[in-house]
Amino acid sequence: MSSETKKIDIPFNRVEGDLEVKVDVTDDTITDAWSCGTMYRGFEAMMTGRGPLDGLVITPRICGICSLTHLNAAAVALDRIAQVTLPDNAIRLRNVALMAETIQSDLRQAVLMYMADFTNHKAYQKHPLFKEAVARYQMLSGSSVVEVIRKTKRLIEIIAIIGGQWPHTSFMVPGGVTSIPYVPKLMQSRLIFNRFLEWYEKKVLGCTIARWQAVTTRKELAQWFEERPEHRDSEVGFFIRFAEKAGLDTYGRGNDHFLCFGNFPLPKDTAVTPRVPGTDQLTTPGFFRGTEYLALDAANIKEDITCSWFEQKPVVSHPFDSVTRPYASGNMGKPYSWVKAPRYDGLPAETGPLAEAVMDRVPLFLDLIRNTGATALVRQLARITRPARLLPDMGTWIDELLAHHADPFYTPVKTIPDGQGAGMIQAARGALGHWVTIENSKISNYQVITPTAWNGSPRDGQNQPGPWESALKGTPVKDPDNPVEAGHVIRSFDPCMVCAVHIVKNEK
Amino acid sequence: MKTVYWLQGGGCGGDTYSLLSSDFMDVSELFTTLDLKLLWHPSLCSIDPAAHERLLTDIASGTTPLDILMVEGSIIFGPAGTGMFDTFRGRAKKELCHTLASHARYVVAVGTCAAFGGFGAGHAIEATGLQFTKKKKGGALGREFVSGSGMPVINLAGCPCHHDVIAGALMAVASDVPLELDRFQRPLEWYNTMVHQGCTRNEYHEYRVEESDFGEMGCLFFHMGCAGPLVPGPCNKLLWNRHSSKPRAGVPCFGCTSPDFPKSNPFFHTPNIEGIPLELPKGVNRAHYMVYKGMAAEAAPERLKKRSAKV
Repeated sequence: MSSETKKIDIPFNRVEGDLEVKVDVTDDTITDAWSCGTMYRGFEAMMTGRGPLDGLVITPRICGICSLTHLNAAAVALDRIAQVTLPDNAIRLRNVALMAETIQSDLRQAVLMYMADFTNHKAYQKHPLFKEAVARYQMLSGSSVVEVIRKTKRLIEIIAIIGGQWPHTSFMVPGGVTSIPYVPKLMQSRLIFNRFLEWYEKKVLGCTIARWQAVTTRKELAQWFEERPEHRDSEVGFFIRFAEKAGLDTYGRGNDHFLCFGNFPLPKDTAVTPRVPGTDQLTTPGFFRGTEYLALDAANIKEDITCSWFEQKPVVSHPFDSVTRPYASGNMGKPYSWVKAPRYDGLPAETGPLAEAVMDRVPLFLDLIRNTGATALVRQLARITRPARLLPDMGTWIDELLAHHADPFYTPVKTIPDGQGAGMIQAARGALGHWVTIENSKISNYQVITPTAWNGSPRDGQNQPGPWESALKGTPVKDPDNPVEAGHVIRSFDPCMVCAVHIVKNEK
Repeated sequence: MKTVYWLQGGGCGGDTYSLLSSDFMDVSELFTTLDLKLLWHPSLCSIDPAAHERLLTDIASGTTPLDILMVEGSIIFGPAGTGMFDTFRGRAKKELCHTLASHARYVVAVGTCAAFGGFGAGHAIEATGLQFTKKKKGGALGREFVSGSGMPVINLAGCPCHHDVIAGALMAVASDVPLELDRFQRPLEWYNTMVHQGCTRNEYHEYRVEESDFGEMGCLFFHMGCAGPLVPGPCNKLLWNRHSSKPRAGVPCFGCTSPDFPKSNPFFHTPNIEGIPLELPKGVNRAHYMVYKGMAAEAAPERLKKRSAKV
């Protein structure tokens, strides 16, 4: 048996941008990995010196698939700087739109991006479920693909009703939102929501959300599986059946550090309760370090650029103080990525739906992690079932908007004062932060750390790999020309390299 | 069967996600009905890396004909003209763009980044559009470029481009229906009317009832930076996602179909002299406009001044 190490480069598609991963393979198993973001877009060169509100228009363009979450982070940073209290309706409206964006992203990612790999002929033609996978997930024609295209675009109509269009609206502004939706349009939103919910339960879960929520352990998941054919035939059921046979429950384990900024601030008057008592938002902020939960402290967030193509001083800094300029041309020396390495308290951290489930103490995921660790299967299951956790509260907020329609939607903010503010929220892919400094009524520094920068970060000054670099280790590669297994691991993090491409301060 | 290759350069994917909202037909129907084979799309294809490499070789050698090249995102030339800020397997992606375009029967720039350079034009990444950099003709493929059909690059402007425009343009080129273009090579079918047309706030504009803060009802043109009367586009005619548009929802039009989008002046603010916007609705005479708007404001009906109309 040879133990020769092969180096292979894997370019990724179905990533919103540009990602190439270099791996060492020994005995058909990945022994080391380097994640390279291959595009630099220099967004912030155009931010510095611009008007204080310009982040509301420019930052959504960082990413076309989570443009509202960038808008929200930008608006929250300005809310903080202006020290304005938002009316309840503005909070509800922002939350409903964000939930719609997150849910469409989860389903498109699962069916159009993730399960598409199950149709990989070279890897899976002998898999017993291959024919069914092709029938479901064939590009542009599989039954599930067509349904997801049709259902998600309907859900997005709710965002258009609230904010005018999707993607790339700017309806969230400091103090609230730009418009008051009509009552009949809100009622229409409720009907669109109802139809989506019905489809999600029937086709994606194969059961009611209440039944799914009752699954709290690995054992109960096995029981749920056997309970009805609808459970096995649903997208969730099929995913689990295919993934287990393909071994996705045996690899892809990250470093077990989970980071969340928390999301969906609660209106003062609402029937929605936080996942973990004591916070003022629906989902829970915090850092989970293997076994212990720690309260989130934004001062612990630093960016390390030891292995990134940026000028090397300072090497580590808090985003408010980051000074970064592109350096080198992309292919030389120790640095190997256009993505920086954000670290929490010096540690790499995984973020995304699984991190949210861990932070919200969702029993099923705590149990799965105890049993198998945070594998590619567990991470992806957390994504496709996250809508089950969001939809009920989304419905409640639409109803509350109807009930409180006559109340205000906007608190006037006449000017944005000079100052610093951070907008830290959860995007579909995880923790997203905007750090904004306004000086002399202009943006003087704008720093963004995206979820994919956390998950897809390169090594840091301590030589610690980023989460998916860690998760790739131990992943089997049966065919170096067709490394589909590495794809399963990377995609379980839902990479979005467009947004990870670092935004850089303009040095004058 | 005709072939389509979708190249992504320096962009955000927003045009792809816009296209997924295409309603009649939806994306799946669009490709089957038009008998189009999507050879490659960075988000919607599942061929493996080796097969993708073979495909690129086959297009370059002419073995696989390329009928339609769709390009999303700008073409990145930085740093210093090398293109190394955006690479594919170690090579500058601008080279790949050039190769593909030289074999395509039609080349379509999807979105303002691909058409005019968009956010990265004039900045460190040295972004250009396919045949324009902002208003200047040239771009990545050069002034004289025409694709196999004899057409120059078809610019589907917008940030993102409206879903029905992308779908409509695909239908046209797939069927060899000629598209008449304006001087920035935008098809007149969608870019011959202002965004202003169809805006539900038009009556406020007519009588110069102005919005000066968010959440009011009124015209966003005079103070809030709305470019609806200045730029062409179908946002208020076709509507977004079947329902609305930014101005209808109280968000000013940012002029994203214009070659010089984004401008350097702050968003949400109208540059003006003594309350009269510097830029007037396209084709309007300044002296006439001032007289007419003064009279219109005097004549404004109470129901508009009270902002009791729903917009």
